Amino acid sequence: MLNNQLNHFTCDYLENLLIGHRAKCSVIAKAYLRQNPSIKDLYEEVFKAALYEVGRLWETNKITVATEHMATAITEGILNELFDQIIPKRKLNKKVVVACVENEQHQVGIKMVADVFEMKGWESFFLGSGVPTNELIRFIHSTMPDILAVSLSVYFNYSSLLKMMRSLQIEFPNLQIIIGGQAFTRVSHDTLSRLGNVVLLPDLYLLEKFIDSLNNPIKILS
Amino acid sequence: MNKNDLVKSAELLAQVSQKSASEFASKRAHLVALMNAQMTSRPDVLELVGPGNVDVMTDNHANHALFLESIFNQHSPEILTDTVLWVFRVYQSRHFHSSYWNAQLTTWIEIYKIELSPQCFTEIVPYYHWMLVHIPIFNQLAENDLTPPPSRLIHHND
Repeated sequence: MLNNQLNHFTCDYLENLLIGHRAKCSVIAKAYLRQNPSIKDLYEEVFKAALYEVGRLWETNKITVATEHMATAITEGILNELFDQIIPKRKLNKKVVVACVENEQHQVGIKMVADVFEMKGWESFFLGSGVPTNELIRFIHSTMPDILAVSLSVYFNYSSLLKMMRSLQIEFPNLQIIIGGQAFTRVSHDTLSRLGNVVLLPDLYLLEKFIDSLNNPIKILS
Repeated sequence: MNKNDLVKSAELLAQVSQKSASEFASKRAHLVALMNAQMTSRPDVLELVGPGNVDVMTDNHANHALFLESIFNQHSPEILTDTVLWVFRVYQSRHFHSSYWNAQLTTWIEIYKIELSPQCFTEIVPYYHWMLVHIPIFNQLAENDLTPPPSRLIHHND
């Protein structure tokens, strides 16, 4: 959890994000991991917290959309830098496809989701944003994943999510679908029930528990 | 009136039928095009949105229609209230005049009256009346939110 020391990392990271110091951001991320080797904590407490603050600063016209995009791009670059550190020695024979809802432009959160699956020994196929639903369906037919993970950041795109879920559930009635993203912070049970048989995982900690329950069902039950 | 009161009042809005939500979705792009044509041709458009903000306004109209389509598919009083408040904050901080909201919402209603079926119009117009009557509250709450203490993170570290 966020203690004073780690909060200091978050503030430093945010300040350097806003002035575009990618190298310094990278140094801060690595320094954090030396103190706390949890990638999930780094993602949740530093990257996610800083990017939510970037969003708030854009919302109140304190920064431009260009600065917001730069901050996101720097963070995505650092996720790529850290990728070598997250691959486990033991790989499982499980696959996940991760993608954004059609029209959704924010992909950094679902990229973190792909990394958590990789950490847990899964093979993740990160499609990111901008994939039309019909192309996603073709991709799922070719890869036959165990799980599809879908992200919705902006509630404007909820109707796209509804259409997407209807198409996917007709095409793949037995495919397990998980959803998450900032748009779901305040959704009601009614809203979720319209989406059919999906599991909402609001953060990386719950995602990890969910993956553990799939990787070690007997251990979790006992 | 605070945000919780707004949410409670939004709970009184009836869920739009699937038929009307589908009609709105099928006409959305056309409705947005009409809306942008009408608003950009207004002689007072720069007074409403501020210099250099016409493109920002047309983006808002596209997002507005997309968002309302989502709400018509699945009404969520909290999400409706939160999002309208968010929109007020975003555009007020970019110097949109408070009279823009009334101009925008009444123009949508005029367009819908012509372009949508009577059933669809009757079902969705209460959402617009709800936004219209609460403009002063949204303005006030957004104004309050725009003058918060320093960033939570930075404040925390002071």
